[in-house]
Amino acid sequence: MRRTLIALALTVPATLALAAETQLDDTLLPEGSVSEQDGLAAWDRIHEVLSHPRCSNCHVGEDNIPLWTATASGQARDHGMNIHGGDSRIGAEYLPCSSCHLTTDLPNSIPHAPPHAGLDWQLAPLEFQWTGKTSAEICAQLADPDRNGGRDLEGLVEHITHDVSENGFIAWGFAPGAGREPAPYDVQSHLDDFKAWGAAGMPCAPG
Amino acid sequence: MKLTVNGQQHEVDVEDDMPLLWVLRDELGYTGTKYGCGIAQCGACTVHLDGEAVRSCQVPAAYADGAEIVTIEGLGTPDAPHPVQQAWIETQVAQCGYCQSGQIMQAAWLLETNSAPTDEEIDRVMSGNLCRCGTYPRIRAAVKAAAQKMQEA
Repeated sequence: MRRTLIALALTVPATLALAAETQLDDTLLPEGSVSEQDGLAAWDRIHEVLSHPRCSNCHVGEDNIPLWTATASGQARDHGMNIHGGDSRIGAEYLPCSSCHLTTDLPNSIPHAPPHAGLDWQLAPLEFQWTGKTSAEICAQLADPDRNGGRDLEGLVEHITHDVSENGFIAWGFAPGAGREPAPYDVQSHLDDFKAWGAAGMPCAPG
Repeated sequence: MKLTVNGQQHEVDVEDDMPLLWVLRDELGYTGTKYGCGIAQCGACTVHLDGEAVRSCQVPAAYADGAEIVTIEGLGTPDAPHPVQQAWIETQVAQCGYCQSGQIMQAAWLLETNSAPTDEEIDRVMSGNLCRCGTYPRIRAAVKAAAQKMQEA
């Protein structure tokens, strides 16, 4: 059913234009070509992105409750409407995310309306929880294939480029529209930081 | 765009980004679906789109092209109400009634996916549908009564 809707949404001309616009440089850097110091600096910028509400609000813990961050105050709170993502992390047990968050590439233009993306709206898997974790903890998590979806550096880079090609959540985080504060930097810079961090050996600062 | 509403096929000439709510109300005259907030914060505009309860104010016309829509007018009839509508009447849920078509559409979807919901499950599914009259205790009671009716049917 939802797949049908995605197919229908893809018939909108603006969709194709959006998808075709983003060309990312995903060329990996030679291993060891980036110093540990520069790698740690790249990680700090990556963490700025991951800990930004646009990215972290759906990387919540085992309570499965997404977060909201008020546009005006910047204060975080639980998602309104008693929303609970359930163990499915897509709300399948209760109210599905898709009741309000459509899967479409149409622009996010209406303030306070539920945002949408080209992928089905969902909480990130529990093992990818970022809320309540330190930079060092998230760094270790992302460097560990057992806790990052089985990805090496190439896999992490591909994760970003694939998301962007689908107009997914990473792309949305940098361009959320409707007055929402975007995550810092931009997709290419974020990708470059991942490449640099990886080429430096995925260093994580202690603590 | 083409769409089927309550089993009847329609073709309308509208902008791609016109909300489905306005297609239903203004273009096709299905005024049982209500406008509340326009930003999916209240649930008054809930309809079923290909079997899923959605906020029609958030569904662009292009997204609904080819879809099967059910509105409150298609859920039941005065002579043969849907079990949820029957329970709503028997429980006298409505006060002002403005939000009730959205509430009923959401409740009908809930019972299609969960035939015996607990209080917690009802609250989690129905909390996206606001009622300024505060009829929530009667909504919960009516959902349970409708679940009973549907199990006995």
